[in-house]
Amino acid sequence: MTKRPRFGLYALVILSVVVSFLPIIWLVLTSLKTTEGIYAWPPQYLPDPFTLKNYINIFTNSPELLLYVLNSFIVALGCTVVALSFGGMAGYALSRLGMRRAGVLMVFILAVSMFPPVSLLPSLFQTFLNLGLLNTYTGLIIAHTGLFLPFTVWMLASYFATLPPEIEEAARMDGMGFFRIFWSIVIPLSWPGFVATGLIVFIFSWNEFPLALVLMTQNAMRTAPVGISLYPGEYAFPWETISTATVIAIVPVLIITAIFQKQIVGGLTAGAGK
Amino acid sequence: MTEVKLDRIGKKYGAVEAVQQFDLTIREGEFLVLLGPSGCGKSTTLRMIAGLESITSGDLTIGGARMNDVDPKDRGVAMVFQNYALYPHKSVFDNMAMALKLQKVPTAEIEERVGRTAELLGLTDYLQRKPAALSGGQRQRVAIGRAIVRTPKVFLFDEPLSNLDAKLRVKMRMELQELHDRLGATSVYVTHDQVEAMTLADRIVIMNGGVVAQVGTPREVYDHPADEFVAGFIGSPAMNFLDLARDDTGRWVSDCGNLALPALPADTGSRSRVRLGVRPEHIEVLPEAPGPAPLTYPARVLLAELLGADALLSLGIGETRLLVRVGGADHPVQGAHLAIRLNPAQLHVFDIDTGRALPRSAAEVPPR
Repeated sequence: MTKRPRFGLYALVILSVVVSFLPIIWLVLTSLKTTEGIYAWPPQYLPDPFTLKNYINIFTNSPELLLYVLNSFIVALGCTVVALSFGGMAGYALSRLGMRRAGVLMVFILAVSMFPPVSLLPSLFQTFLNLGLLNTYTGLIIAHTGLFLPFTVWMLASYFATLPPEIEEAARMDGMGFFRIFWSIVIPLSWPGFVATGLIVFIFSWNEFPLALVLMTQNAMRTAPVGISLYPGEYAFPWETISTATVIAIVPVLIITAIFQKQIVGGLTAGAGK
Repeated sequence: MTEVKLDRIGKKYGAVEAVQQFDLTIREGEFLVLLGPSGCGKSTTLRMIAGLESITSGDLTIGGARMNDVDPKDRGVAMVFQNYALYPHKSVFDNMAMALKLQKVPTAEIEERVGRTAELLGLTDYLQRKPAALSGGQRQRVAIGRAIVRTPKVFLFDEPLSNLDAKLRVKMRMELQELHDRLGATSVYVTHDQVEAMTLADRIVIMNGGVVAQVGTPREVYDHPADEFVAGFIGSPAMNFLDLARDDTGRWVSDCGNLALPALPADTGSRSRVRLGVRPEHIEVLPEAPGPAPLTYPARVLLAELLGADALLSLGIGETRLLVRVGGADHPVQGAHLAIRLNPAQLHVFDIDTGRALPRSAAEVPPR
């Protein structure tokens, strides 16, 4: 009875997985082709001949790619840590401490995040220039944090709202202060929320382009998306280099996602109540 | 002495008065139950004693000290929550030890006290487990243990048994009773379950719409309900109510005319209408009408429900319907004709407008 509708569901899932993965699969395949293979007509679907030459070339010809990836990693990690710290505290205060007008503030925070980042660029650039924050990790971390903090606050606030308030009340009765409750009760119980939000913020920051392009002008400070975008030369569009570099830039994100995704699914509040 | 005194305590949420003028002294070692339907303000009152809810008006004193603005942890109270509210990421031991750790009690003493409490509650084998690995009853024991370990002056219970299934609830209720007998600590217990209230309480406070309807021992609230609300709330199945009007001859007659009482055991004053209350277990069932006799009326069984030990009969006396509790063995069946007899000592009379019980008359109609 239930088999047929489930078969349809599986088909739909497989289809959507294929559709969303196709660009990435094509990217990986391209990175494994020779230049001739890339431009061959009719197009090659599987690399023929299969080659790792692109990967060897990219590390010998443009070793700065690893620097770009490292820069991205530092900025994304910094942004995630700062956004989770401030977003966590703000979200907790807004959702749990009975603040007046908390709802209005939440809407205000959301409204601020609706400014298109490009419109902020000129003033941001000038300000960062004056503050000496151009081409610094601190500068881009601050900029990214500002960009993604509203999202973090909203995500975490709605996660906190799902926690049973009695646990925090019991902690108050036991003698914990607000900060202690936040640190040793709320954060452990909201771990899946923090991991999920952190992952998304990390990926946002990793992929962010306009601010990274404008605020990091020195080659040594560029992040991966910006660095890779500058590969096309004046006369050629090196598909094999770009696809290879992109695959390399994806790997750290994939690893981090793989590590943390298991934790998102955990039902950590199980056992608190009935 | 840990007397808890609530002096005209009130709680307002905006314009809504959740609790009004709550005035009560809870005696040392007393087990006080706050009983009432949901939204009656009983939980709010408890939470004001705990310090989880601010007090809008009035004074709260515990052991003689004013507590209105004192932090929950410094009030000397411990609370057991309805959904246990254990720390799910901490072991049973850590759950119970938390308050002591925060009070900087020496580790050896913490271990000793938690160990002793765990033994008292039969939790010794579970101390290293997480709450998720415990059954509902065990979790509630941990929650109680967490309160006991602190040796508080006052225990607060917020519907601690309502998440348990019926069987476990009865068991835990008895455990709570034994525990209170052993510890003798002042306890305030919120419930909407009248059986819990009747069995556990030294005194019951029945609340309705943010106001105290009656304070009394279980016996008093059952035998002498102060008003119609209490009368209907205490007792299961609920008390029968019927309106009576005084006729020209001074008799009290039901609206349908089939029930007439020569006199009522209460000071009815100049009222021409009153509401009569009689509990299902206080109506005597006779096999057949024995001819005209005082306070005896013929009736027909409209519905008979066997509960096991007891049976509930829905009786029709003319248009009037009365619920009667009889023994379960050989109970009258549907359609049977029989007679009922009322006992004047077990009749309650209420003012129709205010719902207040009318005082029993000095010249009470003598019981049969």
